[in-house]
Amino acid sequence: MISTSEKPEAKVTEGQTAPSEPVATEPELVRGVTLQDIARWLSRRITRDRIITLVLGCISIGALFLVWYLGTKYRFEFYIRFKNVPTPAEVFNQLTQVGLSNKYLVNIAISVRRIVTGFLIAIAIGVPLGLLIGKYERVRDLCMPCVEILRPIPAIAWVPMSIMLWPNNEAAIVFITFIGAFFPILLNTIHGVHSLDGVLIRAGRCLGANEAQLFWNVILPGSLPHIFTGLAVGMGVAWVSLIAAEMISGQFGVGYFTWEAYSLVDYPAIMLGMITIGVLGLACSGVIRMVGFFLMPWLAYAPGGRK
Amino acid sequence: MSIAEAHSEAAKGFIDVRSMGVTFGADESEVIAVKDVSLNVQPGEFVSLIGPSGCGKSTLLSIVAGFVKPTKGEALLDGKAITRPGSDRGVVFQQYSLFPWLSVRKNVEFGLKMAGVDQNKRLTTARSLLDLAGLLSFENHYPDQLSGGMKQRIGIVRALATSPQVLLMDEPFGALDTQTRVVMQEILTNIWQQFRISVLFITHDIEESIFLSDRIYVMTARPGRIKAEIKVPLPRPRTPEMTDTPEFMNLVQELKGLIREESLAAMAPEIKERGLSGFGMKVGPKGVGQLY
Repeated sequence: MISTSEKPEAKVTEGQTAPSEPVATEPELVRGVTLQDIARWLSRRITRDRIITLVLGCISIGALFLVWYLGTKYRFEFYIRFKNVPTPAEVFNQLTQVGLSNKYLVNIAISVRRIVTGFLIAIAIGVPLGLLIGKYERVRDLCMPCVEILRPIPAIAWVPMSIMLWPNNEAAIVFITFIGAFFPILLNTIHGVHSLDGVLIRAGRCLGANEAQLFWNVILPGSLPHIFTGLAVGMGVAWVSLIAAEMISGQFGVGYFTWEAYSLVDYPAIMLGMITIGVLGLACSGVIRMVGFFLMPWLAYAPGGRK
Repeated sequence: MSIAEAHSEAAKGFIDVRSMGVTFGADESEVIAVKDVSLNVQPGEFVSLIGPSGCGKSTLLSIVAGFVKPTKGEALLDGKAITRPGSDRGVVFQQYSLFPWLSVRKNVEFGLKMAGVDQNKRLTTARSLLDLAGLLSFENHYPDQLSGGMKQRIGIVRALATSPQVLLMDEPFGALDTQTRVVMQEILTNIWQQFRISVLFITHDIEESIFLSDRIYVMTARPGRIKAEIKVPLPRPRTPEMTDTPEFMNLVQELKGLIREESLAAMAPEIKERGLSGFGMKVGPKGVGQLY
């Protein structure tokens, strides 16, 4: 509707430069841009397939809530005990009371800051190192023994050492988050370089790429799909590590919030903390997937790639 | 430009392979891939290298491209020893080698970008080359959206973008179906007609080598040696009708004879003992494959 005042003018100027254009279609075009077009665009996006996906998604989440609701309503007790588990309504109440309080939001902000810092450092070190290890046998020989020894140590086991190692609590927690994200990113990057088709590297060389150009223009983009797999896995492990670190050594953070609630026997808050962690984790992997989608548009056409 | 300059300009792209030998492995597991091969490609000449599979013809091309170092002998380009890959030699691979993350146009621009050519120049060059390949309308597509023949055409013009002195082609149409292949040969001969750069073309297809080349080297079975050198007297530019001329047919027959000997030699020794007729299916009274 807004465009009706502008469109005819634009058409007139176009008509002057290209008079052969049929004039009869003009009014139709002008109307089409507005509601009809949006409706058509929407109806094209809302396919049967997508509706089914959405419905199944709702059923999935709904079933989870239903089990929770029924379990708490009838105080289900057979080996597992719902006796002390707060009801969904209690948790919702908690959210409306606490949810907008400063304390809760500050905890979220601090956790997110730790994740982002640790994760970015893990990318900054893991990806270049992975590319080098993947490309050069000698770098691999030099680094892999260390990697293989350090890799099986879970990030949580780093907590005591980390507290000793770093000057303050904050740095220690970021370090643990980094450890969690680092190894999946590193190993997937290495794997990405190894699975790169050798003919592409040869083609790059033939086209005059020197070593640095080869890294930037062939090896990095060629490994990018695997790197993003590493980022997705790394993000998951980073959250696990962060929450554990916050519970053990923390001040602030969602993990600390949850553990504090347990200490204070505040059951709805425990639940709220858990749900918050779940939602934050989901949001983080969503961001990674979205960045990957925009950074690697060619994957839409790759054989066996995303459909 | 003086005549001498023009001549030296025209005389670029001379490939000279001198008594080259390549062995892989060492001691007992040693395999002689290529033995004492000498060949050359004159500036502006289209030369094919044909031979049975495993005869080391791709190895030879890898040496000229600079991927592999020869065990004996040397490979020279315009008098200088070839030590590593470079943009003075364009290479078209048998496998599709377009970068899947770059659009078609960016693929063609790749070599120019590596050389530091500015964006406008790159764009103009890439567009004109894509036009030449008949694929300008696909410039913003990704390689995975294209057919095999299209990918190979882009592979060819991408290799030409840096204005190399020679073009090395390693069975570039090997993965294509017969119909596409024939069309691709015509497109290639037309493109070559315009650029007139030296081409070393590896193939195992006899008709293909005759249709495209000025000269054909036939290689023996492993260890690969040069068995024969055949000149193709067909006039330029080549047209598809030429494949029906008696001249063409005679060349096909001649090459078939040469290659057949080598293909047999390349196969297992028992084939030589039993002869090919030993592989026929026995037809008994109960039908094929059952004697009694």
